[in-house]
Amino acid sequence: MTNYGLVIDQERCIGCQSCSLTCKQENNVPMGQFWNRVLTQGGDHVDTPSGDYPEGGDGGTLEMTYQPTACQHCENAPCVKVCPVNATYTRDDGIVEIDYDKCMGCRYCMAACPYNARVFNWDEPEHRPEDGTGDVAERPQGVVEKCTFCSHRVEDGLDPACVVNCPADARIFGDLDDDDSTVSKYIAEYDTHQLLDEKGTDPSTYYINGEMSPGRPWKSKKLESELDDDEAAKAARRRSGSVENGYDVTPHVPAETAGGDD
Amino acid sequence: DDSDTAGDAVTSFLGEDQVVKTACSPNCRGKCPLDVFVRDGQIKKVEQQVPAAKTFKRGCTLGMTHLQRVYNADRLKYPMKRTSWSPDDPQPDQRGADAQFERIAWDDALDLVADGIQRAKREYGPRSLLWHSGSGDGGITGYRRLKELVGGLQDDFTYGIDTNVGQGFNRVTGEGGVFMPPTNTADDWVNAETIIIWGSDIFASQFQMDAEWILDAKRNGAKLVVVDPVYTNTAEKADLWLPIKPGKDTHLALAMMQYIFEHDHYDEAFLRSRTNAPALVRADDGTLLDPASVTATPPEDGIVVFNTETGSPEVVPAETNGPFALFGEWTIDGTTVHTGLTALREQASSYPPQAVADTAGLAAADIETAADWLATRGPGGIMPSYGVGRYLYGHVFGQTYATLLALTGDYGRHGNIHAQHPSYDGSYLETGDWNDPDGAAGVDTYGYNRVLDLLANGDPVQTKFMYGMNSNMLGNQFPERDRWLDAMSNLDTVVWADIYHTPTTRQADIILPAAHWFETEDLLTTYTHPNLSYRTKAHDPLWEARDDYYIMAGLAQRLGHGDKFPDDKHDVLDRFVKNDDRLSWDALRETGTVATDETPTVAYTDEFGTESGRITVYDDDAPVEEGPALPDDGVSLEVPKPLEARTADDWAHADEYPLLFMQKHSKWRIHSQWANVPWLREINTEPQLDIHPKDATRRGIDDGEYVRVHNDRGSVVVRAKYNDGIQPGLVNTDQGWWARDFVDGHLQDLISAETAKVGRTFAFYDCRVEVTRAADEHQSNEYTQHNPRGSSGTATDGDSS
Repeated sequence: MTNYGLVIDQERCIGCQSCSLTCKQENNVPMGQFWNRVLTQGGDHVDTPSGDYPEGGDGGTLEMTYQPTACQHCENAPCVKVCPVNATYTRDDGIVEIDYDKCMGCRYCMAACPYNARVFNWDEPEHRPEDGTGDVAERPQGVVEKCTFCSHRVEDGLDPACVVNCPADARIFGDLDDDDSTVSKYIAEYDTHQLLDEKGTDPSTYYINGEMSPGRPWKSKKLESELDDDEAAKAARRRSGSVENGYDVTPHVPAETAGGDD
Repeated sequence: DDSDTAGDAVTSFLGEDQVVKTACSPNCRGKCPLDVFVRDGQIKKVEQQVPAAKTFKRGCTLGMTHLQRVYNADRLKYPMKRTSWSPDDPQPDQRGADAQFERIAWDDALDLVADGIQRAKREYGPRSLLWHSGSGDGGITGYRRLKELVGGLQDDFTYGIDTNVGQGFNRVTGEGGVFMPPTNTADDWVNAETIIIWGSDIFASQFQMDAEWILDAKRNGAKLVVVDPVYTNTAEKADLWLPIKPGKDTHLALAMMQYIFEHDHYDEAFLRSRTNAPALVRADDGTLLDPASVTATPPEDGIVVFNTETGSPEVVPAETNGPFALFGEWTIDGTTVHTGLTALREQASSYPPQAVADTAGLAAADIETAADWLATRGPGGIMPSYGVGRYLYGHVFGQTYATLLALTGDYGRHGNIHAQHPSYDGSYLETGDWNDPDGAAGVDTYGYNRVLDLLANGDPVQTKFMYGMNSNMLGNQFPERDRWLDAMSNLDTVVWADIYHTPTTRQADIILPAAHWFETEDLLTTYTHPNLSYRTKAHDPLWEARDDYYIMAGLAQRLGHGDKFPDDKHDVLDRFVKNDDRLSWDALRETGTVATDETPTVAYTDEFGTESGRITVYDDDAPVEEGPALPDDGVSLEVPKPLEARTADDWAHADEYPLLFMQKHSKWRIHSQWANVPWLREINTEPQLDIHPKDATRRGIDDGEYVRVHNDRGSVVVRAKYNDGIQPGLVNTDQGWWARDFVDGHLQDLISAETAKVGRTFAFYDCRVEVTRAADEHQSNEYTQHNPRGSSGTATDGDSS
């Protein structure tokens, strides 16, 4: 079985918000709403830290981390359980999705979701431009909406928009049930955690902290499973460290012998 | 392979999409190749493109939101003229934010512009024409061709904006120009063992579209040092953050040099063979000992060194190693001499880390750690941007970091870094005589630093007619905005072409609507990645907007140069493609890009561009800097000397204006572009003042209250944002907001347009202010009504008529 999941390397995330904005565009998310938010863990405002500014260069305790947060696509999703009309459901591939025709706007799911991942169309959705953007139909007033892992793209063999357009390669999407997939390997090799794991929701979104990963190693728009042999080989080499960024760079040259484009 | 979708129809989830290859091109220098998806004639989304050099698939938050720049309420739809303007009665005093405009036909607009050019030339002479361009776009427009043909004056970044750091680096290395110098290609950065990001929030302001290169270097073991008074996005990723006081960067670099001298961590071989460290300097006048005094036939680029084996001076050419003394003093034929490095060591000895720690607000141990990492961990580099150059005397920092990297031998090796973006050599088109046409009248160039005098005082000639494009300078990068507006009242006619009705077009008499980049066919060069890009038109320009090329061609026709501008821009591009062995239409159309491969991975492997072919760690031909807070006879810069104006603690008005004011580049705009994108304004809603809570509470200012930031030049009202990460004593409002975005005033009203004699560069960060709670009337405004203007999308007078 395929079970899609997302790994976000917070050591790589630079808080640029490309994922939030490209998500809005791809999914025709109404003005005023976000499916995908990059939260600042630190001060009260975006891009501000908490703690003390160092005095005379010493004693500083400033800290800031970016926390990209969208629907976690939980294996044990509370939103699915509470939906009285089965509008929210888990697909065979692990993606949690909403049937907007069934949704009656009761918002039980919003109360149940511990990640604040869902938004509700209180008003008639507003778009700029008016005709909307991206590749997903508009959701009407009165329904709840949220991240779909760009299921429309995934079905077409493409990575989610937030993954393809991350300038830091901090987001990696793939099949958690495939031990050879990059997401599975990173979860095994790096220090990862799920958000609020004490709640037993078992999210399919994992966050790397500590040692930095090579990030998404392939330079393509495709899902890892759709890569051709050449692309896959390059990605694997980058992951293993023998090639950085798919470039065959000259290995480190000792200072004594360095010089020239050798 | 992703290229199979190029220009092809793809079946989308909602219908049939045309995937159009194009590229972004504001002056972040990124020029990221982009895929634009068009459905039913409308752009539906923008994605990072996989270009020919695939590893440079890149793009940032801004690039992904172009759709809201194409379809934007601020777009200019039609040519317009100021209602109160006419050729015979221009009424320049009627310009301004409240000026009314009326729609005119393109033919009439072009007639008015061409007639105005001819009339100014006839009545006031050819030098009464001023051509102005900023850095708003990078395509082929024919602007340069037309102005060369017509003649007049042109303004330019050099000198004036961001010309400090590179200038100082160039002075002692002979490399680069006034902007960022060459550096190793980005794929080599992973070999760096130490990267010092100096005065740059690189992960927010410029290189974020390709952040992976630095992240991968860090992952590969590089120590990341960030020198910045603000705890930024970039500082958050640092192994060592040096929270330097503003203006103390040269102090810090000298302290690092002192540490390196004291611990003998300098690279002797490099200093002997590739710098003038061993050159003998006369103690009496500071000049280098004349090679002709040592040998009858000295080599052209020779320097006199002291050979410790022969015990006598000798003349050696560039790139020559030998047993040359690096330190010492001798008397040769009655002349006392010492080595250049002796002079540098002497200068550095006045800046021990412990002393500089106090001056710069740093921990001495941190200064030593940074120096130790750079000197002993293997190849590394310093990655400055233009930030430090935004202090009045910032060019000294260019000299200083170039010298520091010479001490550590960090040139010409894998893993060396000298700038925050690489410079790929393939960034050119075979344009033939396009920019230098036969029969050119020629133009005289005035740096932005001289344009204000030119306009205000008619010095040396009175300009009467100005054509501007690719620029919102009056909305953004011209300091002392009011003086510019006053000076422009001497112009009878101001013509401006832009995509949007900006604060600058509001000051124009004739406004020409330009096409958005996605509405043009174009060829784009870049130097931050090795791809040349082809722009396919996503759709025709909206309303009556025109590609700048066709505006230029229309003017050329009326000015007697019509034969020099083909009717179809494609014919111009076709000429460039056919001239160029690297390019073919098939490749450009198929993949959208052509990868160039003309750049050595490692820079600085040959003789340096100085007279001696060596880095001049001792600059015997040093300029004497003069300006505010310096001694009357100036300061000569043979070796780096910290020079400060307003950032100095003893600045004359430091008590009255105790806070330093900065205008950081943010992730939300490139200069003033993208300020009007609704999606971005949902997160970054309005201008704010980063202020440390300590500074705020001392002034009775609550988080979120409106404050007046003011000095003796002007003031601006913005919302206070408590930020524990900004240095107490420093405040910041991000650059690039439009005049309308401020509740009152404008941040450039605070900045002096004065430049130094050598630096000649506007000092946007060399500013002192006081901050007070704004008047009650400003505590309630359009922002507090949850209706930020930039995001509301209500029609402006750009939509009028």
